Amino acid sequence: MLKIQGLKASIDGQPILNGIDLEIGRGEVHAIMGPNGSGKSTLSNVIAGREDYEIESGSLEFEGTDLMELAPEERAHLGLFLSFQYPVEIPGVSVTNFVKTAINQHRKAKGLEPMEAKDMLRLMREKMELLGMDKGFLSRSLNEGFSGGEKKRNEIFQMALLEPKLAILDETDSGLDIDALRIVAEGVNALRSPERSILVITHYQRLLEYIQPDFIHVLHKGRIVKSGDKGLALELEKRGYDWLKEKEAEV
Amino acid sequence: MSMDSLKDRLQSSFIVFENELKEETRSPLHSIRRQAMKRFEAQGFPSVKLEDWKYTNLKPIVKGDYTVFADREQGLEFSEIKRFFLNELDTYKIVFVDGRYSSWLSSTTHQNYDICTFSAGLRRHRSVIDAYFSKAAWGERSLVALNTAFAREGAFVRIPAGKVVEKPIEVMHISTGSIGDSMNQPRGLIVLEEGAEATLIERHQNLGNARVLTNSVTEVFAGAGSHFHYLKIQNDSPTTALIDHTSIVQERDSRVDVGTFVFGGRFVRNELEFKLEGPGANAGMIGLSLVDADQFVDHHTGVDHVAPHCQSDELYKGVYDGKSQGVFNGRIMVRPGAQKTNAFQQNHNVLLGEKATVDTKPQLEIFADDVKCSHGCTIGQLDEDALFYLRSRGIPAHEAQALLLYAFGEEIIAKVPLPELRQRLSRLMARKLNVDFELSL
Amino acid sequence: MEVLEHITRNEYAYGFTTDVESDKVPPGLNEDVIRLISAKKNEPQWMLDWRLEAYRIWQEMTEPEWANVHYEKPHFQEISYYSAPKPKKTLGSLDEVDPELLKTFEKLGISLDEQKRLTGVAMDVVVDSVSIKTTFQAKLKEMGILFCPMSEAVRDHPDLVRKYLGTVVPRTDNFYAALNSAVFTDGSFCYIPKGVRCPMELSTYFRINEAGTGQFERTLIVAEEGSYVSYLEGCTAPMRDENQLHAAVVELIALDGAEIKYSTVQNWYPGDAQGKGGVFNFVTKRGLCERNAKISWTQVETGSAVTWKYPSCILKGENSVGEFYSVAVTNHHQQADTGTKMIHLGRNTKSTIISKGICAGKSNGSYRGLVKMGPRAQNARNFSQCDSLLMGDACGSHTFPYIEIENRTARVEHEATTSKIGEDQLFYCNQRGIPTEDAIALIVNGYCKEVLNQLPMEFAVEAQKLLALSLEGSVG
Ligand SMILES: Nc1ncnc2c1ncn2[C@@H]1O[C@H](COP(=O)(O)OP(=O)(O)OP(=O)(O)O)[C@@H](O)[C@H]1O
Ligand SMILES: [Mg+2]
Repeated sequence: MLKIQGLKASIDGQPILNGIDLEIGRGEVHAIMGPNGSGKSTLSNVIAGREDYEIESGSLEFEGTDLMELAPEERAHLGLFLSFQYPVEIPGVSVTNFVKTAINQHRKAKGLEPMEAKDMLRLMREKMELLGMDKGFLSRSLNEGFSGGEKKRNEIFQMALLEPKLAILDETDSGLDIDALRIVAEGVNALRSPERSILVITHYQRLLEYIQPDFIHVLHKGRIVKSGDKGLALELEKRGYDWLKEKEAEV
Repeated sequence: MSMDSLKDRLQSSFIVFENELKEETRSPLHSIRRQAMKRFEAQGFPSVKLEDWKYTNLKPIVKGDYTVFADREQGLEFSEIKRFFLNELDTYKIVFVDGRYSSWLSSTTHQNYDICTFSAGLRRHRSVIDAYFSKAAWGERSLVALNTAFAREGAFVRIPAGKVVEKPIEVMHISTGSIGDSMNQPRGLIVLEEGAEATLIERHQNLGNARVLTNSVTEVFAGAGSHFHYLKIQNDSPTTALIDHTSIVQERDSRVDVGTFVFGGRFVRNELEFKLEGPGANAGMIGLSLVDADQFVDHHTGVDHVAPHCQSDELYKGVYDGKSQGVFNGRIMVRPGAQKTNAFQQNHNVLLGEKATVDTKPQLEIFADDVKCSHGCTIGQLDEDALFYLRSRGIPAHEAQALLLYAFGEEIIAKVPLPELRQRLSRLMARKLNVDFELSL
Repeated sequence: MEVLEHITRNEYAYGFTTDVESDKVPPGLNEDVIRLISAKKNEPQWMLDWRLEAYRIWQEMTEPEWANVHYEKPHFQEISYYSAPKPKKTLGSLDEVDPELLKTFEKLGISLDEQKRLTGVAMDVVVDSVSIKTTFQAKLKEMGILFCPMSEAVRDHPDLVRKYLGTVVPRTDNFYAALNSAVFTDGSFCYIPKGVRCPMELSTYFRINEAGTGQFERTLIVAEEGSYVSYLEGCTAPMRDENQLHAAVVELIALDGAEIKYSTVQNWYPGDAQGKGGVFNFVTKRGLCERNAKISWTQVETGSAVTWKYPSCILKGENSVGEFYSVAVTNHHQQADTGTKMIHLGRNTKSTIISKGICAGKSNGSYRGLVKMGPRAQNARNFSQCDSLLMGDACGSHTFPYIEIENRTARVEHEATTSKIGEDQLFYCNQRGIPTEDAIALIVNGYCKEVLNQLPMEFAVEAQKLLALSLEGSVG
């Protein structure tokens, strides 16, 4: 599904990703962990096509398509979804209006007619129920005045509506209380299918208990320094990152 | 006397001035003075028809029989003026009495750096003065031109690269009143070379009951990475009028902070102009006006963002009692190409007096797109809830109000760098508000 | 930002001209032209005298230069001050309207056919100098509401017109108000009797069609005690290489407890991408509020080459309320200097100002406002929010708010911000599959939401489309 090779990226001349190799197969769930500032969000932004970063070298493929030359919306149309670590506020634009525009743009890219208003509403209602969200939420301005948890739920809500092939969840668990975490995890699990892949970025083992990953990678200083199965998460929880950092220093 | 007669008097004084200067009239500096005099002659005193003077009427101020030059030096004992200085601190002092330098009362230096007078600077560092004089203060203002025409004395500070002035510099302009109503035109020049640092405190004090009109101009050049702190205490007697123009040019990564504190004076007009020429320059402005009776205070500030990546922050507060009048005009200009500019301005006013008025005009002129600029302005009264809270604890209305006003002003004073000066300002504020300073600490 | 650099030209969709034969006076202005206009309109003597006095006042005045706009001043002797589509006769039914004109309105998306109208909007249509058609007149008449062309009001309701005309915007007010008073040709007159709530939106549609003409309409709305009216105006003009002058005067009078809502969607031809042509829009709009009255101005300004316009409220009566909601978009070489004046005279008066400026291309937008609290304005309140959004590094955005307070119990809060459209917001939209151009329309409409919400529903939709249209190509 996603194939990253030797990816190096920098911002304002400062290198942040120093050669990432990562392959995510169809239906697989991968998790990336790593200390603050190790480049996790940068990696997800680069995959989604953010232009602030300079790509120094490497390749980025999605289902055999080279992503490098594609605009962020074109990548989205291919089925790439990023749940942002810090979703932005767009004052005056209601959730409904935003989601409607996004869905219809996806449809347009597929050559489909815009969705009927009543179908759209039914769909939204259904997904809201799934995520235990309040009705009033639809008419609020996008992310404006949302609590941390509401913002994250809104991201998962959009993911549920857009049904991506690959979802990258950048710290979707931070800011959620335990109930919200369970609901969000259930939302994610509901999307799980052999056709769909997920990349979870997190600092905590607890999310990984709900969303069982097939692989875990540790990112440090813009490099994947260790990969393993879900046992690695437990080990990280116990030992922290320092032993990995030391190991790297030895190298 | 009408406006024109002061103008006439200044014109004839200029001839007297030139006679006194003798050889000096052939210098390049003097040709700048002459041009400036021509400009003043052509424009005269500004009238309310000019946008910049819309709310500020100079007419009653320039109507007066002012002596333009003091003919003799006044003897003063330090004890008579001691209270105006920061006595808790060791400071450099540049003191002028009726417009003339008093070496007796001053404490200057030429070691490591120059902290002296404009005339001394002219003798020792002619090239520095030629390089900077009249380069920052905008020429088209007629009052700046008038000051330039008569520029002879004032403070001169030059700090060479990398030098830090450890002691604050106090600049004091004293009027004795023994020469009758008088007009002073001090001219200051402050040059900080790369990485230099200094703090300067400036006051104008009238000791008598005579009328004093001061038309002051100061130019500041802040070299790359330099840091200058400039504090103006304006607490003069009720027979004084002060027009104070300051132009500041900042190079890359320099930082200049100016604080203006107005408690006294019948008429005060401050003009503070920043030009941010080097990227990364940072300009800070704070101001507090606490006025009553028939006082008039006008703050005109301007920040010209020429270079990208600069920041300016401005916070002015005012409390107006009696039938005092306040004017605030804050202009922020962002030139084409000055991307990544951050410019913020806040102006908050409390109107206490039934006849008090405030006219304010924040102004943004922006020609670059990647900027964050904002201004906010409020005019109102003290928070009713807070007042009620204090009164419910048994504090009488008047005291409660004074306490809240004190807190309102403290937000500005807290930003002043020297603890001794902060205390001095807090005391001045407490006295003006009639609150017990020791208790309000 | 890279995408912001690509600026292309977008088409002005309303730029057609209509071939209607017109009756046009030769260019130039003198007392005889004014007499001619007055005669063509069968005006009574007092009206002519009033105009001639205004003309004398105008001749003494000089054109204002304080606004932050730069343009070649109109040549007043080269403008034709009267142009009427022929045949000029009173129109009884729609069938009598010139078919070419009907086609024009179809292109504009306006149906004049009463039967076809689903929504209750009564409409007066002014092309060049005269009113073409006023709909729903009969129905309104039943309630005592007068809604007719100004010229008709001068003839049929002279007492009302005489009583109020020029009372809010006197002839001496400013250069263009004086000129308008001398030569105004048409516009709308509304009168809402005491206690009546006007059941439908009243609307006037203005169009300049003929080349070389100026449009000087005059609108007067009088809302008697306790009445309510919502009035809308829309405007378009053909694409022409030369500048056309539009100098209107609008006066609103809200008597005790009355409410007037006045909405404008201004889409005069803005000139081409090189800054050639376009309408000069120099307008004086002002309302007077008596006790407990309310006047609310809403404007969406996307057109005109140069705009100079400050819809204002004089809050004379106690507890009266003034509101100003504005979106002003400038693109290419457009210049707009717009804002409001809130003059608080009475006790407990309140005003709100929400202004949203959007500048793109090489345009310049200025907000200029005055909030004044007089000595008797006890407990008066004002809240102002003036925001500007910048797109592209060649435009300019300016804010000149004047605040003059003479009463210590008054409260004023003013906030202004200027920033560029958020890259984070754009990326977020892109990531959800929304292309940049649509994302901008979405973000801009959200940014203007508070103002658009003030417009009646169908106008709000039109305004949203206009916003997207006028910014099209400004980011690519
Ligand atoms: N726009 C930017 N400008 C400058 N530096 C940036 C920018 N974005 C990221 N960086 C830097 O790149 C490094 C990696 O940041 P990133 O956000 O990818 O870390 P992270 O692993 O997601 O951290 P966290 O766990 O705190 O979310 C950090 O040092 C950060 O400061
Ligand atoms: Mg992160």
